Amino acid sequence: MTAHLEKYLNLLLFSVRGVHFGIDAEQALETAAYDGEGADDLLWFHEELEFAMTSAVYAAPTIITVGTRGGRQYRVIIDAMEDIAEYSWQDIRPFPAIMEPFTMRNGIWGILPRNGRMTLLVDFIRLFNGKPRRHRI
Amino acid sequence: MASSDIPLKSDLILEELKLRQRTREIVDVEEERVKVIIFTCGANRYAFYGGDVREFLPTCDISWVPGLPDYLPGLINVRGDIESVIDIRHFLGEERRDRFAGLIAMAVRDDFRSGVMIDSIEDVVDIPVSAIKAPLATLNGAARDLVLGELEHGGGLVALLDIGKLGAKISL
Repeated sequence: MTAHLEKYLNLLLFSVRGVHFGIDAEQALETAAYDGEGADDLLWFHEELEFAMTSAVYAAPTIITVGTRGGRQYRVIIDAMEDIAEYSWQDIRPFPAIMEPFTMRNGIWGILPRNGRMTLLVDFIRLFNGKPRRHRI
Repeated sequence: MASSDIPLKSDLILEELKLRQRTREIVDVEEERVKVIIFTCGANRYAFYGGDVREFLPTCDISWVPGLPDYLPGLINVRGDIESVIDIRHFLGEERRDRFAGLIAMAVRDDFRSGVMIDSIEDVVDIPVSAIKAPLATLNGAARDLVLGELEHGGGLVALLDIGKLGAKISL
C-alpha cells in the first residue's frame, strides 16, 4: 500500500497560540483572509482541537477550506500561516505509544521536528470524521 | 597413627577452600542487592529501580499537545527521539505546580518508555532485596497503586514505585 504513495508530503504550516501545526496541503482547497465575518459554518481551529483556552486571540487569522472524503468541505480559521513546503516522510515521527490514542482523537497523527521545535501534523479528514461537530457545512 | 590415615595437606586445604566458597555463595544469595534511585517529588521521597531508568535529563522544553490528559504535559526531543513526558505527581497525589524546574527520568521497562517528571535526585544506593518491605496499608491512597514496596533511607520510609504499573495505568 505504502509503495504507491510518494515519499514526500507537502505541508501547509501555521501556528495557533504558539503551537505549530502542519496539514497535508492537498486537504486545503482554498485559503482566504478572515475579515471578521461571523458565518455559522466557520470553525475555529482551537475549538476543533479542544484547546483548553479561556480566550483565543488570533494574530493573523486565515480561513482554509478543507476538502474531505465524500466531497464535504469545511471552513476552518487558522492563525499565522507560515509556509507551504515539502518534507520527507523520513523526517516525520509517530507519537509515543502512550499518547497516540489521545492525539488521534483530534486527528493529530505525527510530529515533524524542525527548527528546534515540534510541528504537530493534523489530518482534517480524521479530525472531522472522528467525532460529531457542532458546526458543519 | 598410620601415615595412610593422615589426611593429605592438599585435601585439607581443598576442603577448607570449598567450605569457604559455599559459605560465600550462601552469603551472596542472602545479600542479593538491587540498585534504587531515590528522588523527591512534591513533598515526599520515592524510589525507582535503577534498571528502570535509562538516564536523567535536565529541565528542557516540553512541547504541549492539545487533547492530552493533565498527566501527559507533552513531548520532549531527546537527541532526535521524540519522547512522551508523564507528570507523575498526578498519580502520587502530590501538589502540582505550573512551572516545572526539575528533572526528567527516562523510564524504560519492556514496551513502556517515557520521561517522568521528578523534582530532584536524592541518592542512588545498592540495597539488599530483603530491605524492601511490603508497603504499609496506611500509604497514601493515590500512590498505593504504583508502590511495589518500601525501604528505609535517611531515617525515613521511601516508597519504591513500579514503572510497569505506571505504564499499565496510563495505557488503560
